[in-house]
Amino acid sequence: MFSFRYIWLIIVQVAVTAVFTYILVTQQYRDLSEQNLASLETFLIEQKQRELRNYTSLAVTAIDDVYYGNVLSEPEAKAHAAQTFTRMLYDGIDGYFFTYDQFGTNIVLPHQPERIGKNFWELTDPDGGKTIQILIDLAQNGGGFHFYKWSQPSTEVITDKLSYATYLDKWNWMVGTGVYLDDVYAQLNKIQGEIDDQVQNTRLIILAVAITSIMLILFVAVSISVTQKQENEAKVSALGQKIITSQEDERRHIARELHDGIIQMLVSIKYSLSATKMSLRHALTEEPHSLTAASAGLDLTIDEVRRISHHLHPQILDELGLSAAIDALAEEFSKRTHIAVTVNKLQVKKLLSPQLNTTLYRTVQECLTNVEKHAQASHVDIKLEMAQNWLALKIHDNGKGFDYSDTEKFGIGLNNLQERVDYYQGKIAIHSNNEGTRIEIKIPLSSFAKNFATIDQHTDEPHTMGKPS
Amino acid sequence: MSKTIKVLLVDDHPMVRDGIMSCLAFYDDVEVIGTAKNGIEAIALIPTLAPNVIMMDISMPELNGIDATEQILEISPHSKILIFSMHDNAEYITNAVQAGASGYILKNTDAEEVYQAIIQVAQGHQYFGENIAKILLTKHTSNTTARLTTREQTVLSFLAQGLSSKQIAEQTGISVRTVDAHRRNIKAKLQLDTVAEMIRYAVEHGLVSR
Repeated sequence: MFSFRYIWLIIVQVAVTAVFTYILVTQQYRDLSEQNLASLETFLIEQKQRELRNYTSLAVTAIDDVYYGNVLSEPEAKAHAAQTFTRMLYDGIDGYFFTYDQFGTNIVLPHQPERIGKNFWELTDPDGGKTIQILIDLAQNGGGFHFYKWSQPSTEVITDKLSYATYLDKWNWMVGTGVYLDDVYAQLNKIQGEIDDQVQNTRLIILAVAITSIMLILFVAVSISVTQKQENEAKVSALGQKIITSQEDERRHIARELHDGIIQMLVSIKYSLSATKMSLRHALTEEPHSLTAASAGLDLTIDEVRRISHHLHPQILDELGLSAAIDALAEEFSKRTHIAVTVNKLQVKKLLSPQLNTTLYRTVQECLTNVEKHAQASHVDIKLEMAQNWLALKIHDNGKGFDYSDTEKFGIGLNNLQERVDYYQGKIAIHSNNEGTRIEIKIPLSSFAKNFATIDQHTDEPHTMGKPS
Repeated sequence: MSKTIKVLLVDDHPMVRDGIMSCLAFYDDVEVIGTAKNGIEAIALIPTLAPNVIMMDISMPELNGIDATEQILEISPHSKILIFSMHDNAEYITNAVQAGASGYILKNTDAEEVYQAIIQVAQGHQYFGENIAKILLTKHTSNTTARLTTREQTVLSFLAQGLSSKQIAEQTGISVRTVDAHRRNIKAKLQLDTVAEMIRYAVEHGLVSR
């Protein structure tokens, strides 16, 4: 038996799997990305470093003439070199050369000429490094790179900067140039952003897959349970029908035993008594009172057994068919209740199987019982009709109607009826208002077609009931 | 009554047969010349026994008394059949009358009345017990006469299966003339004119499969 408990287990499992997958995938992705990012950063920085060293070497080469030449005096040569450095700009205005002497006095700074001649030995950047001291120290030791913060000319914002400094020994100059790292960091940030987007996408995909899976599981579970429910209902209905059928068969069997067994024996006894009476008469002997009493008692007994037999199962249903049985039922009903009943019969008979016959007969019985108990009707109209491949049984009364949600009155019988009719793929419709109740039951021709042909005609077997099995 | 009335007693219960016979034994002008325990046996016995009156129960296995009555009258239209049944229901009575029974008495009828019924029926009269007559009077028979008898329905079913009158006669063991008579009756009762209409009626009512 399928249970929703397992469904919840499966759903929880799917959710847990999704969460684990998410954590694992994003973690690995991030690790991998950060490694890549770090190596990219190293690569970019190394590239910058190569460039800076080349630029510096170019700048130094550019003053070779004056530095090594003897044409100009040293002050003139220095002024010329400073001018050359000042003019050497690249990358717009952010690429420039700076020069300081060994004591930290500025000699070249293209965008801040007011600083020229001033000493920056003690200049400290926001990170605490003495920028100029470090650069001079690196330069004196054969050239080197330094990361620090400096105001970027193009944006006038304090920015990370990487500089290379080399040393002109003859003049005791430190010459250097640097790049602002904002574009490198921007590039890295962009990639970081792309990674975050990827992680976000992965999260969405996993979420979508998990939700789809859960929905799918729920859908499958619901359809399985619906199918099972239908199957179960069909089984219950078939079982119910089986119980009803076997009950009816049993009743029919007992009724027949009474009618064709006991009653016939009683009748034969009655004829024995009759014969006794006649032989007494022939002998001119007066009939004893006890014999008369026995005969009368026997009549009562026969009537009583017949009543019981008929109540269990009316033989007329098997011998003359449904219409005749309904007619007989209607007559008994009218006699007992003084409610008029008209019955419209089909012109043909024995169309239905004994089971279907019994079902419809019991339906009429049930309806008449309801009319008697609740409807306060003066007239009931029962019709059996054949139209458009449906056999219709219509029972109309002119009573006060009933509330068919009131199961106290009608419900159990009605449910039972619905089940019985369902078994034959039939339909049942009930309309009730204060002008009366109309109950219509329709059975498709396919549920009984050929019954007459197979049962009655070839075997000439009028007793549609089988031997008790 | 100079001539003895020959009676064929048809009832499936031996004790009932014995009881009736012991009562009828008191009457000199009635003689039970044979017994049968169902309609089929009765039909087989009639040609040799040539009974004046057939006393027939209704509820019997193989072939019931009403259908047997109809079939006996097909082969021997002048047979006098007295139904003798436990059923005092109007439907049984009208069906029996419709099948052609000459009389109807209940099984709990006194022996004297049984004797009277046999005499009446043998003389060509109809006889219905007092209770039976009352039931027949209150019953509107106009509606029931329009219903088909079992035999008519069988003929209709064969017809719808495409059998000719001759073939139906062979199947049912009756004469072609009788089959044609049934066909006329069917048309009249169902108010149909053509064979096609009859076939359609049979199909629509599930007498044959499509």
